[in-house]
Amino acid sequence: MLLSFRKQITFSRISLVVFLTGIGIFMLLPIIFLFNNAFKPLNELFLFPPRIFVQHPTMYNFEQLFLHTSAGVVPFTRYLFNSVFIALITTFSVLIVSTMAGYVLSKHRFHFKAFIMGAILIALMFTPETVAIPRYLIVSGLGLKNSYLAHILPFLASPVAVFLMKQFIDQIPTPLIEAAKLDGATDMYIFIRIIIPLTSPAVATAAIITFQTVYMDVEGSTLYMTKETMKTLAYYVEAMTLNIPGVAQISIASSIGLLMFLPNLIIFLLFQRKMIQTMLHSGVK
Amino acid sequence: MNGKTSRRKQLFLFRWKEYGVGYLFMLPWLIGFIAFVAFPVGWSLWNSFNQVFITSEGFKYTWVGLNNFRRMLIENNAYPIILLTYMQEVLLIIPLILIFSFFVSLLLNERFPGRAWMRALFFLPVIFATGQVIMELFGQGAGQLPFVQDYKLDVILREYFNESTANMLLGILGKAVIILWYSGVQILIFIAGFQTIPKTVYEAVKVDGASPWESFWKITFPGMLPFIGLNAVYTIVDLFTFPLNPVMEIVRNNMFSPTTGYGYASAMAWLYFAIIMVLLGITLWLTYRATKGRGDVR
Repeated sequence: MLLSFRKQITFSRISLVVFLTGIGIFMLLPIIFLFNNAFKPLNELFLFPPRIFVQHPTMYNFEQLFLHTSAGVVPFTRYLFNSVFIALITTFSVLIVSTMAGYVLSKHRFHFKAFIMGAILIALMFTPETVAIPRYLIVSGLGLKNSYLAHILPFLASPVAVFLMKQFIDQIPTPLIEAAKLDGATDMYIFIRIIIPLTSPAVATAAIITFQTVYMDVEGSTLYMTKETMKTLAYYVEAMTLNIPGVAQISIASSIGLLMFLPNLIIFLLFQRKMIQTMLHSGVK
Repeated sequence: MNGKTSRRKQLFLFRWKEYGVGYLFMLPWLIGFIAFVAFPVGWSLWNSFNQVFITSEGFKYTWVGLNNFRRMLIENNAYPIILLTYMQEVLLIIPLILIFSFFVSLLLNERFPGRAWMRALFFLPVIFATGQVIMELFGQGAGQLPFVQDYKLDVILREYFNESTANMLLGILGKAVIILWYSGVQILIFIAGFQTIPKTVYEAVKVDGASPWESFWKITFPGMLPFIGLNAVYTIVDLFTFPLNPVMEIVRNNMFSPTTGYGYASAMAWLYFAIIMVLLGITLWLTYRATKGRGDVR
């Protein structure tokens, strides 16, 4: 009886793994596509119907990219530095600010809490495009044009991150915090030693999402920056793929698409391991 | 008398201390929020009741009341149609994403070799499902399922169902890719949610003789309701701010058009937001009602 039971288990396990692998490969497809596209020669890029795998890999696209970037006034590395610098600082500050806000929204009493929650929900809906002009007026009014602050500040009050944090901190039992308080812990201590470790899955998720948004953002560079040295890589990529005429555009777009994607992949690989670990052993029960 | 006032004073001080911490922690977020979200949003609401033109001296406002809304609903022949079709599509996709991600996270919660890798794989689309990359992929035709054409599925479907049902099913098949790629965060939230249900509860009902089916509906599902609500909100927001969203495109086109202007575009955006707000309100209300009976569990 035990034997047949075990057999059943293995069969269902195997079919489970096979099924998940099937969908999983589909999830992986765009990345395979991106990597292959970057190494395709011109005639394969224009092939119809398009193929996923490259037949004759070549570095031609990267050569084209290198040729065009070296002709520019501002070196490519400057854009790269701007992008990475801005994305890292913004992600870090968004995480701190929104975890703090999420903590008090979830576990503290103060006036206007319902009002603030309502405001967050409304703000979730707003795409940056619709408030672009008022935002521009504020940024230039504060004298932030052509500074890194103009890249960072507009992202700081991210409604998505606060919403995620608040919902996650709701799961932490209040008695845990009360117990800590009775033992004489200050709010800062509770925040650093209890809230942050217990919310690390949400922190990791919010980190990935924020990094992604900031890194891909072109609005900041287009609207608030007039100096070329202050613009970001995402802007540079967009400008380049739009302005270069002819077939070179497709070729450069495919190689730069991969380059743009790599930092995202690295951040993802860094955070996801931590995220999954904390999800398995977290004290949130 | 004197003792009473000092006690009241103490209470006031105590409450102020408790509230003060709340305000202090809230402050950085609040400042950023007022400056870069609340104020611009309020401004755009005001704009929506005005005719706004950008001249060389700056902005020129003319108060027109509800005229912008009237114009875009009655005179504009593209906006209401695009809005309605997109609404229909989204209402169809949201439950599908929720069901799919719930199902997958349920499977990913099982024990099997390579589980950690599989989880990472399903979260992967999050890093390319926004902005530039997805535009590029759709532009290059990676967004369609090849087998729909290959096996003449559309013809078969049209034969066995009536016109509107077949179109709907084909629409879902066409959206399958979006559903797959847009459920990363949802799957993650669900998996995290499963960890909040203690294993001892499952053991207890097993001892009491409950089948897996019963324990799913009696334990897992009610325990997951808050997470389903959270995911529904997240999905709605995610879909409505989708970069390929046709409504946003029409708003953007009208923004700098000389005949319509910024005020008109703001009015369009506001109507769109109003509809999303109603949808979110319904979602939150349902979640609240479903979890209310067991308020102390949260």
